[in-house]
Amino acid sequence: MTKPTAAEPADPSPGLLARARRRASSTIALTVALGAVGFGYAAIAPSSAAADQTPSADAQRGQQIYQTACITCHGRNLQGVPDRGPSLIGVGEAATYFQVATGRMPAAAQGSQIPAKPPQYTEEQVNQIAGYVQSVGGGPQVPSGNLRDGDMALGGELFRLNCAQCHNFAGKGGALSSGKSAPGLGTSTDQVIYAAMLSGPENMPVFGDNNITPAEKRAIVSYVQTLKETKDPGGNGVGRLGPVPESIVLWVAGIGALMFAVLWIGAKS
Amino acid sequence: MSGEGTSQPARTAADLDGLSDEELTHLGAGLDGVRILEREHRFAPGSKAERRAERLVAGCFVIAFLSVVGFIAVYLFYPWRFSLADQRYFLYTPLLGLTMGLALLAVGAGIVLWGKLLMPHETAVQDRHDGFSDETDRRTIAATFRDSLEMTGLARRSLLRRSLFLGSGALGLMAVVPLGGLVKNPWAKKELLGTPWKAGMRLVRLDGVAVRPEDLRPGGMETVFPDVPGGRHAPDGPVMLIRLYPDVTRRPRAGQADYSWGSYVAFSKICTHVGCPTSLYEQQTNKILCPCHQSQFDATRDAKPIFGPATRSLPMLPITVDSEGFFVARSDFREPIGPAFWERRNYD
Repeated sequence: MTKPTAAEPADPSPGLLARARRRASSTIALTVALGAVGFGYAAIAPSSAAADQTPSADAQRGQQIYQTACITCHGRNLQGVPDRGPSLIGVGEAATYFQVATGRMPAAAQGSQIPAKPPQYTEEQVNQIAGYVQSVGGGPQVPSGNLRDGDMALGGELFRLNCAQCHNFAGKGGALSSGKSAPGLGTSTDQVIYAAMLSGPENMPVFGDNNITPAEKRAIVSYVQTLKETKDPGGNGVGRLGPVPESIVLWVAGIGALMFAVLWIGAKS
Repeated sequence: MSGEGTSQPARTAADLDGLSDEELTHLGAGLDGVRILEREHRFAPGSKAERRAERLVAGCFVIAFLSVVGFIAVYLFYPWRFSLADQRYFLYTPLLGLTMGLALLAVGAGIVLWGKLLMPHETAVQDRHDGFSDETDRRTIAATFRDSLEMTGLARRSLLRRSLFLGSGALGLMAVVPLGGLVKNPWAKKELLGTPWKAGMRLVRLDGVAVRPEDLRPGGMETVFPDVPGGRHAPDGPVMLIRLYPDVTRRPRAGQADYSWGSYVAFSKICTHVGCPTSLYEQQTNKILCPCHQSQFDATRDAKPIFGPATRSLPMLPITVDSEGFFVARSDFREPIGPAFWERRNYD
């Protein structure tokens, strides 16, 4: 960065006074011009440098966490490390929020599927990391606040068309290929469900905003959360896993009780 | 059955008048070769214990009555309508079941307790003969059957016999003929062979909006339908439009090399095993799973089956983009979608 320099002292030789004065004046002019450019740049440069790298204190704290927890597998500039972790450029806040808030990241081990576990960071820290990844790599973002203001009937239709095949009609999750599975949605928050649709974690297809619009995503969130709160009108839902566990309960518990009743009736009094 | 040669002393009506019901019962059992050895009451008649047992049984019947009253009350007055604000509705069915079950259980328990506590305990012995029935019994019974057949005249009266077969055979036809209505000729309307998809038809979403190439991100999937009236409810219409990642190399089936558009591929959503919707798309492994019987298809090899009971690839819809930038089908599927049927030609 150029700094304004002090004017060069004039040549001391008296015989060359006129030439010296001319040289001094051009030196001063150059110095003033350079100084003006330097001051001008200095006035603009620091603010633009801050916008590029350190947008906020939150993102700075996010960067600190990133450099302790994520950098080993995802690299210094989010570019990823071969055989360790994928590039995070373009995944955005949505994917980061989903992975860290559900405890999937930082991962304990490599595998076909990274399991969810108790989150390692607080909600605030998760948002700081997500903010950092967003500021460097860019990508889709999750809206904050209440996401349950969608059209529930539409959400139900979209859930059955797009989600139920893997996550079960009641959001209980289900098996995929080769030991992978689609998780249940029981503990998923609004933001987690929204972020999952937006980012397509692991083997889940990506449902971008042109595919399922933000209004439709909110409708799906409303439906899923209502579904979880709704009680089972038939009594015990038996895990809401469908007819197979229900019939097992009926046969083992129900017929078992009847067998004891029959034995009791037939027993000699 | 009274044994041969068992002689019973003749009894006059006056003798029988002198017997109590219990003695008559013993007599009747004796005539059938049954001897009642002992019969005793669990509790002495009129005792305190007996009255308690009686009250227990009566209590069961009263509980049954109250349960039925409760059932009717729940049926008439309990809030059963679904409501997010008032979630009491979820107890409606369990309450009906509980009251009905309790009523049935109480009636049953009352009868069982009656039998166990109040009815006398009884030991009876019946003499049984060894081996076959004796010759006389066997011959007379066989003769009775033959005689009955002879009396009907089926052997002699051929008109009756034939009209009987005619009439009862017609009864059987009543069961068989309606089954014929279930048998359909798939070639008459060729409804198994084609779907609503046609050349130039747009791929629309559930809400009727046509899909454009920029709508899906890599690894995205959309269920699309043919853009005709009723197309979103046509059972053979649903198609999975999948955008593969750009670095995925597609290995097309013979004759399908140009069915994709860019990294977009479109497959029938109906499983070729028994027709479930196969929309479990794994975006990292590019597998398409069927939830019913765990068939797996490889999206990079034009949905070739790689696991499970399905043996044929999911039919692929040839797609392109029209002049306005919307996805359109280039033609119908080249093969019938869904499960196999007898007349299906083999396309692989």
